[in-house]
Amino acid sequence: MTTLPIVNVQRHTLSSRIAMSLSVVALMALIAMPWWADSGWIRWAVELSCYIAIAQMWNLLAGYAGLVSVGQQAFIGAAGYALFVLCQKFGVNPFLAVPLAMIVPAILSVPTYLLLHRLDGPYFAIGTWVVAEAVRLVTTNLDFVNAGAGLTLRVMTQYRLHEREVAMTILCAILLLVTVGGSYWLLRSRHGLALTAMRDNPVSAGSQGVNVSRLRFLVFIAAAVGTGFAGAIYYMAQLRITPASGYDPKWASISIFIVMVGGIGSIEGAIIGALLYFFADRFFSQYGAIYMVVLGCLTLFMAIYARGGIWGFVSSRFDAPWFPVGRRLVLPNDKGT
Amino acid sequence: MQWLDALIQGVLLGGMYAQYALGMALMFGVMRIVNIAHGDLMILLALTGISLAAAFSLGTLSLIVVLVPLAAALGWALQRGILNKVVGEDPLPSLIATFGLSIALQNLMLQIWSADTRSLRGGGLESASIDLGGVYIGVLPVIVLVTAIVLTASLDFVIRGTRFGRGLRAAAADTEAAAMTGVNPKTIYAASTAIAVAILGIAAVFQSLRATVSPADGPAQLIYAFEAVIIGGMGSLWGAFVGSMVLGVAQAIGFRIDPGWGILFGHVIFLAALAIRPEGVMMKRR
Repeated sequence: MTTLPIVNVQRHTLSSRIAMSLSVVALMALIAMPWWADSGWIRWAVELSCYIAIAQMWNLLAGYAGLVSVGQQAFIGAAGYALFVLCQKFGVNPFLAVPLAMIVPAILSVPTYLLLHRLDGPYFAIGTWVVAEAVRLVTTNLDFVNAGAGLTLRVMTQYRLHEREVAMTILCAILLLVTVGGSYWLLRSRHGLALTAMRDNPVSAGSQGVNVSRLRFLVFIAAAVGTGFAGAIYYMAQLRITPASGYDPKWASISIFIVMVGGIGSIEGAIIGALLYFFADRFFSQYGAIYMVVLGCLTLFMAIYARGGIWGFVSSRFDAPWFPVGRRLVLPNDKGT
Repeated sequence: MQWLDALIQGVLLGGMYAQYALGMALMFGVMRIVNIAHGDLMILLALTGISLAAAFSLGTLSLIVVLVPLAAALGWALQRGILNKVVGEDPLPSLIATFGLSIALQNLMLQIWSADTRSLRGGGLESASIDLGGVYIGVLPVIVLVTAIVLTASLDFVIRGTRFGRGLRAAAADTEAAAMTGVNPKTIYAASTAIAVAILGIAAVFQSLRATVSPADGPAQLIYAFEAVIIGGMGSLWGAFVGSMVLGVAQAIGFRIDPGWGILFGHVIFLAALAIRPEGVMMKRR
């Protein structure tokens, strides 16, 4: 009878320790921004944080749970509107209203999933779009939220610019912690094993004892809340929301582009993609329609020829994950790799 | 009387939706993929048709004769160039690829034709109507509905009764087994996409005659086609037709109640259908 050697489970690598330290530094720098950066930079940081968060949530949905959605804008708009209504109509403190506004996307996601999960893969995707359109039309017809004209966040005028900026950067730091950090934590937990198994093959994951349908349901709700969180912060920074902007299908294109170009099924991919999209948007959005044609063609190209995206290309050559979610077995007298 | 009128207008509107839905039902039935650029292709064909009609002063019929082969060629190229590379078990690649194509097409059309709305002149056909005891019925919508019925019936016949249809059903049921018995799935796929887009060529002419088109209109048409297919039952051609009628009537009744509610009513009926009869009105209960 052979005895198994005693092994240590190694979960961190040198690259992940560096990445982790850099992430902490970046979060600190983000929170300290009101004291070292000007308002334009802070606006950009808020925008970038929202892109990263929304893309990360879409990655969790499409990359792990196999739920391709083109209707996440439903939750962005719903959370944005919830925030504006809480502040403008009920006089709730705007910074307190952000977490309260999460209730709306959470509630909305439950019937959405229960109705749509019956639809086959591609039909599920368009189903989410129909839900987003329906929510947009309901909002457009509601006089209570000023119908198609939208709402303005007037209560923000009672705060000085500096106070607003401090609150916004702290909210963004929490947003990144919850969405990126939360995904990282989730994927390293035992649920992460189940999610990774589901990503690779849902049927065999099911036969290994993973409750695929329940996990999908939970991921859908979590992604709705995370996406809504980003939406609430984004429109709080914009100070204005209309049905056309809040429920804009452009949010779906942004998340798909970011995740597909960055690399689906990895945390690193969504971050790389978000950075790339953010800078592309700064430099090339002046070219208008032609820029969008290039983005569309690039998404098409990635889907046909490079499904792993940039991170897939990098990680197949260098074994240096920033956010390792796997486990590596190391013999105690071995110094590791 | 007002509701009878809404019902009739709804059925006629459904004729238009049936023409979009037919191609989508065919493609999903054969390849299990949904082309997100479905609506954008229709708008592309409509704008091309309007420009062609203006440049060569073509009449409605001759425009259809020119546009349909063009559409079929476009569908064939789409399948050969893009869809064949992404069709498979995993729905993600085909969704993302056609989504990218949809964004690219919309903005390309915006660049070429600008955001203006355009329409086609039909020499009085678009405004002609018949008075049926107080209910006015447009001649053009009736032609659209009759065309939709003829298209659905012919496609249904082709699939049920011809050699090509047998190959198509075989490829849909089991691609590999079909390939072993001498059916070339790639040819079947290309032919079905060519047929689906060719039908969009006809729909494009009618859409630009009865309403206006602009580059951003595609996604809405995609959603209507999708709703019709789901209400009717996935993959069934007559199901898609009946689904289109249900959607058209729901929207027409919604518009009568409040102009802002028309489209929303369609979405609500779709969601209700999903809750009550997810297998579609035309399908037998499992």
